[in-house]
Amino acid sequence: MRIRKALFILLLCLLSVNAFAAGDYEAGKIKAYTCTGCHGIAGYKNTYPMYHVPRIGGQNAEYLVIALKGFKSGERNHSTMNLQAEALSEQDIQDIAVYLAAQTDTSGD
Amino acid sequence: MKRIPISIIAALFLIAPAIAVSAGNAAEGKNKSVVCHACHGETGQSLQPIYPNLGGQHQDYLSKTLYGFRDGSRQNAIMNGFAANLSDADIEDISAWYASQKGLVEIKDK
Repeated sequence: MRIRKALFILLLCLLSVNAFAAGDYEAGKIKAYTCTGCHGIAGYKNTYPMYHVPRIGGQNAEYLVIALKGFKSGERNHSTMNLQAEALSEQDIQDIAVYLAAQTDTSGD
Repeated sequence: MKRIPISIIAALFLIAPAIAVSAGNAAEGKNKSVVCHACHGETGQSLQPIYPNLGGQHQDYLSKTLYGFRDGSRQNAIMNGFAANLSDADIEDISAWYASQKGLVEIKDK
C-alpha cells in the first residue's frame, strides 16, 4: 500500500513536469511581443560591441529554453537579455520558445 | 580597350587578402566546418534540438560567439574546446559559411 502511494505521488510529479514542459504557442505569441523590439527588426544591431542582434525565428525550442535559462541564471551574460529573462517564469520561457521556434518566414501575412 | 593602370591592379591584390579575412570565405568555411556538422549539421540545421540551428544566422553574431567561446567570455564545455583551436580566419570563414545558408529568420511583430 505504501509503495502504491509512493508510485502515485511519483506519477503526479511526472505529470506535472510534462505539463510544465509543454509551451503554449498562443501564450508565447503574446509574451514574445517584447522580443520583437530587437529580434524583429531586420538589420538591428547591438552596440558596444557592435554586431547584429541574432536571428531567433525558427531556432530550436529546446535550445531557446537553454539560452533563456542561461540568461535568467546569469550563466550567460548580456545586460539586456539578463534583465529580460529575469522577469520570465519557467512557463513564460517554455511558451516563448515554442512560439519563436515556429517562426519560419517574415515576408508572409 | 582602356588599360587599367598596373598600380591599381597591384593595389587590389594588396587589399584583397585583407578583405577576404575580415569578410570570411564561405567555401573555405564549408571545409573547415566539417567538425561542426556532427551537432550543427552541414547547412546549420542542428541534428539535436538542444543544439542551436546556425543556418541563416548573422555572420557577425556567429563570429562574435566563436570569439567569445575561444577567449572564454562565453562558457560552454563543448564549444570552448572546439573554439580554442580556431584561428581568426577559421572563425570568419566558418561564420561566413553558416551565414550563407538558409534557416533562421527575424521574428514578426504581430
